[in-house]
Amino acid sequence: MSIIEVEDLNVRIGSHHILQHVSFTVEKGAVTAIIGPNGSGKTTLVKVITGLQSFDTGTVKLFGTPVKELGKLHRKLGYVPQKVDFDRSVPLTVEELLNLNLLEKTGRREKIAASLDEIGAGHLMDRKLGVLSGGEFQRVLIALSLIQDPEILILDEPSAGIDVEGEKVFYDMIEQLAESRGMTVLLVSHDVGVVYRYADGVLCLNQKLVCSGTPHEALSQETVRELYGQGASLYDHVHRH
Amino acid sequence: MLDILAYPFVQRALVSGVIVGIVCALLGVFVVIRKMSFFGDAISHSAFTGVALGFLLGINPSLSALGFAILVAAGMVYLQNKGNLSADTTIGIFFSGSAALGLLIIALLRGYRTDLFQYLLGDILSISDRDLMISVVMGIVVVGVMSRIMRPLLQITFNRDMAKVAGVPVERYEYLLMFLLAATVAVSLKIVGIILVTALLIVPAAAAKNISANFRQMVAWSVIFGVSSSILGLAASYWLDTSSGPTIVLTSILIFCITLAARK
Repeated sequence: MSIIEVEDLNVRIGSHHILQHVSFTVEKGAVTAIIGPNGSGKTTLVKVITGLQSFDTGTVKLFGTPVKELGKLHRKLGYVPQKVDFDRSVPLTVEELLNLNLLEKTGRREKIAASLDEIGAGHLMDRKLGVLSGGEFQRVLIALSLIQDPEILILDEPSAGIDVEGEKVFYDMIEQLAESRGMTVLLVSHDVGVVYRYADGVLCLNQKLVCSGTPHEALSQETVRELYGQGASLYDHVHRH
Repeated sequence: MLDILAYPFVQRALVSGVIVGIVCALLGVFVVIRKMSFFGDAISHSAFTGVALGFLLGINPSLSALGFAILVAAGMVYLQNKGNLSADTTIGIFFSGSAALGLLIIALLRGYRTDLFQYLLGDILSISDRDLMISVVMGIVVVGVMSRIMRPLLQITFNRDMAKVAGVPVERYEYLLMFLLAATVAVSLKIVGIILVTALLIVPAAAAKNISANFRQMVAWSVIFGVSSSILGLAASYWLDTSSGPTIVLTSILIFCITLAARK
């Protein structure tokens, strides 16, 4: 069953087309990556799917419901934006932040602790946001979006600000969470390697949908050139151990 | 010195000072963490224009201040959400527009209006029973509403988009915060005056931020510092025979300096 359905989506700002005739579906439980060059409309697509931005024509449905009519279904949606511009000098602790998304009146601290433990950040509970490293902060954002047990998790370039070593750990965590929770994940990435390693499906975007399918089906030399320009190509990188 | 507490005007001054200390401190937490100090200043100046309008039209100045401040606050929030201008540009336009309109209106008023200048500089010792009643009602409303909306406001402050996706009606809460701010400024006018009311919104919360280990502490300390500034400031103005409004604000700044030193 498709949990995300987008049909003939068009988004314009003035006369400038951001997205043109974009149509795709995402199956429940799949990890789907959206790739494309800068300015290809990836973040716009994510904002339309999450209901943050309006669109000109087309339909966008989550859980079979038009995105503008989600109502309480919003709580089944988790979202981590590309940039969180929060003043880190504000004395807000990790526990207080996660508490904001909880509806329960009892057992809050236990639920927050469990949520942090799940992403390997249990030790951060009483820390102020201002003292967290980039990677720790990203983990806390994931915990914040997971605490209301979403069925769809949408991540916009989640590894920005994390070093290369941390990135693998981060995506391994996402993969494990998706599997253990049966969660549908939609993530925006610049990294084709990440797509090959972690995604069940890929959407290649450059204002229009250039390709879609499994990474091996969708990502050919031709589609990579169509996405990133004639100078781009795929190559196999062999690790020597 | 305790004999003076028997006088009704001193009792009214203390009660209204405590109320203003509490409501400004509560709202001030969000003014500080949302970096809305310039916004708060614009509201203060628009409230003063509202006072002048009230004198011109023969309406209760506190009510006209409230009405005009709410109008300006709503206009700023609307333009910020819909327009292509940055927040500080939007606020600058409303700030200067309100101030200019206020000066125009003052020029239309006949004679030297000492009562108008009471709103400019404040006079907590001339608070009437009616003014006190208005502050008590406003205090109950602000504290009651803030206790219910503090969580969604913090969600929105952390990240507007994440709050929206989580189902928080973001714009509704932003308008509500602005209205509470406008109402608090309008009520606080007579007590500390336009020039200094912004200070009461900013300084106690900024002092609290210096020494708080978490957000709950920041709110608590902000209220403590707000109330302390009012009570100690009033006491100091009696001792030193100085104007009460400026002394209250300077007391809050002294508290801020102490917390800054404590942080280091």
